[in-house]
Amino acid sequence: MRNLHPAISFGYFAFVILITVVFLHPVMLGISLVSSLLYAIYLNGIKSLRFTLLFLVPMMLLAAIINPLFNHLGNTVLFTVANIQITLESTLYGLATAAMLAAVILWFSCYNKIMTSDKFIYLFGRIIPAISLIISMALRFIPRYIAQIKKISYAQRAIGRDVGSGRIIDRLRSGADVLSIMVTWALENGVDTADSMRSRGYGLKGRSAYSLYQPNSRDKTLAAFSLYLAVLVIAGIALRLVLISYFPLIELNHLSVSALFIYLAFLLLCLFPLLLDGFEELKWRFSRSRI
Amino acid sequence: MALFTVKDLSFSYPQQSTPALTAIDLTVEAGGFVVLCGRSGCGKSTLLRHLKTVLTPHGTREGEVLFGDRPLAQVELREQSSRIGFVLQSPDNQIVTDKVWHELAFGLESLGCDTATIRLRVAEMASFFGIQEWYHKDVNELSGGQKQLLNLAAVMVMQPDVLVLDEPTAQLDPIAAAEFLNQLKKINDETGTTIILAEQRLEVVLPLADKVVVLVDGRILAAGDVGAVSANLNANGSAMLKAFPTATRVFLAAENLTGSTRSPAATCPITIREGRNWLKRQLAQQLEQPLTQQLEELLPTAQSQAVALDSPTHIPYSIPVPPTAPIPAHIPAHRESQRDSQIDSPSNANAIVAGAREVWFRYDRKGEDILRGLTLEVRESELFCLLGGNGTGKSTTLGVLAGLRKPYRGKVWIEKHAGSSNPLSAVSSIKPTAARGGLCLLPQDSQTVFTEKTIRDDLLTMFSDPKSEVSLAITDNIAMLLEIDTLLDRHPFDVSAGEQQRAALAKVLLREPQVLLLDEPTKGLDAAFKEQLAAILVKLKSQSVSILMVSHDIEFCAAHADRCAMLFDGAIISQGPRRQFFNNNNFYTTAANRMSRGLIDDIVTAEDILERLSAPTPETQG
Repeated sequence: MRNLHPAISFGYFAFVILITVVFLHPVMLGISLVSSLLYAIYLNGIKSLRFTLLFLVPMMLLAAIINPLFNHLGNTVLFTVANIQITLESTLYGLATAAMLAAVILWFSCYNKIMTSDKFIYLFGRIIPAISLIISMALRFIPRYIAQIKKISYAQRAIGRDVGSGRIIDRLRSGADVLSIMVTWALENGVDTADSMRSRGYGLKGRSAYSLYQPNSRDKTLAAFSLYLAVLVIAGIALRLVLISYFPLIELNHLSVSALFIYLAFLLLCLFPLLLDGFEELKWRFSRSRI
Repeated sequence: MALFTVKDLSFSYPQQSTPALTAIDLTVEAGGFVVLCGRSGCGKSTLLRHLKTVLTPHGTREGEVLFGDRPLAQVELREQSSRIGFVLQSPDNQIVTDKVWHELAFGLESLGCDTATIRLRVAEMASFFGIQEWYHKDVNELSGGQKQLLNLAAVMVMQPDVLVLDEPTAQLDPIAAAEFLNQLKKINDETGTTIILAEQRLEVVLPLADKVVVLVDGRILAAGDVGAVSANLNANGSAMLKAFPTATRVFLAAENLTGSTRSPAATCPITIREGRNWLKRQLAQQLEQPLTQQLEELLPTAQSQAVALDSPTHIPYSIPVPPTAPIPAHIPAHRESQRDSQIDSPSNANAIVAGAREVWFRYDRKGEDILRGLTLEVRESELFCLLGGNGTGKSTTLGVLAGLRKPYRGKVWIEKHAGSSNPLSAVSSIKPTAARGGLCLLPQDSQTVFTEKTIRDDLLTMFSDPKSEVSLAITDNIAMLLEIDTLLDRHPFDVSAGEQQRAALAKVLLREPQVLLLDEPTKGLDAAFKEQLAAILVKLKSQSVSILMVSHDIEFCAAHADRCAMLFDGAIISQGPRRQFFNNNNFYTTAANRMSRGLIDDIVTAEDILERLSAPTPETQG
């Protein structure tokens, strides 16, 4: 997945997250949640399991409890607490929303691992070249300014002006001093940067955006395959082979062969990164063991 | 055909009465390697910036610059962008993007090249410069030397006909600088790219150059090959000669001493190897026919020439004679006794004012040890130089001594009673220093020291009562001491590097330190500013301030230190009085020592060689 073309990775995550958010089908949510958890564990190790247990599960429970307290839609009243009707539909809807939130968070943690800043810049640089340069420059200069602020405060301590201690008023004052000199410093040094940019032709007409990524045949095959799965899922939803509606009464599709087929397509799609990475890892080990 | 022709170019910045450039006539042949040298502020940058339209400063201008046969201003910007490459001084400021590969592609993106072209050109350059190992890295992870190589490569991808470089190695350590300059030589040799380079490191650069241009106050003083230019400067008695390679200086000074011009200028030695060969011949000749007799006849000339070699005349104020002043060549009797007293450096007898004992330090709990049992001591009124390569822990040592970093083992101490004779201690209105009593560190980057809009305001922040008469008086006093009294109302960023450093030093001195710690104080300074700094250090020593400086600058330490030490792998490997220290090192020593090693003993500076050459030499080994 890591060395897949950024456009495919981005499209993949966008699609899976979109389906998860928009289509709160319990089976599909389950598939999405489990796959995202597995892939997150694969990418980030056991700490994403700990994160899920410590943070996501309580959050899910909270969402599931809170939703029916404020959402009174639905016809099946379970019980009444302090004049609040708790309905079956809103409880289930709350559970689904909670699962959706958890799955989306997990998908985003995978997304962050796969879609590094340069891939993102590359993708959006193709659309608006100026954007990619601005993001790239921000990523260059923000760390640089932070480093310079640290250097200044170190220097001030070195010459005996401690900016991090003393009365609050003094600290604020010296902090403001450091910031003001930082602005001057940034402008002063920015002149050089501007010279360097203009000297290398910045501002000429027809700027292009270079990237390290070039689609290869593997990218194309995998893109076609995942696109096929995505089309199946979309078709299934459009043809109401799979459907869910929570209010006023819960309406769920029957477990037909065609529905099973769509579930399978979505399962394959959700497990696609894990299968891909796992397969390539196996292949690598196998080829290595033969050496 | 000449690549650049500068015809009678004069230029003045707006609202400046003195012109920055006056009647510059210069041709640069295609494929040449031209070195432009001169003091800071002599107009080097201004001249170089006239070689590219987008960088040309605003002001009044006469004369013209031709690129090939067309006036430069008529050459399209797109063509200029790719054909004229420009590299500036600061490695950091020139980098625009966050990734190495993106930086390499930046120029070609500007030209609107397609992906395939950029891919090929970037790949070629990355291979040529050996960048492929850090191709995917963030630029923040690179060292200064790597950053500057990246800047060079990022210009080279545009396949320029000419590279213009404005002191590209000023911010680099000697090793990185040599690597950078060798890379330039490689470009020049292997691609025929013309190089126009402004540089202070003449010792390294002149052997590479086929044309040298010396700029003084915006005028060309001399231009031509190294031999001719140095002979020319010598004839004029120019102070610029001081920055030339040791071999050349010794050769010219020896010629001056004998009063003859036996050798034609073409044989003028530039490198250490050429210097050694020349020295061998010289010593062989001397065995046959001692020069002493001739010298005695020429005594008055010899004396004045010996002074010219060290040329304190270009320092426009009087200073106490430093212990390293050239020993008059014609008084052999005194010479030996003086040298002995230098070996037993006076500071050896002085009281210890601060030190560290078996200090261990690391930045992270799990990180590597940076200091491994460092032990050192600083004595009263001495200049103690700590030399060493990159990453040996020099700056960390200063941080630990200054109390900014806490060692996890070992002890750092300062004698409280020492330095009571500090005449600045009459000052009472300085804010009390928190516990650090009299030990101050001047960081490497002077710009990080300032926080105010003018140098005067900045100095006044050191007082608890900045508006009192006393504070103002002390400020003026210290400004006089450091020769920044005329700059007090300027913005600290608007003055030159040397002046910035002195302003920063003034701020530190307001703390009345007994021990002053300096981090690479000579970095980026030209020869004249270095002399000025040395003079100020002497003044401070005479006022009982002890100075510990860390440096890469072997020649400076060899000329001005009382004691030197070499730091390696977080501990001191060798230390001793200056002369003894440099004689014990084989490689990590001065050019003069390397030039004379095995030929003459006990040589540290160019003056030493000269002195021996002119004296009867029973101790030479031939």
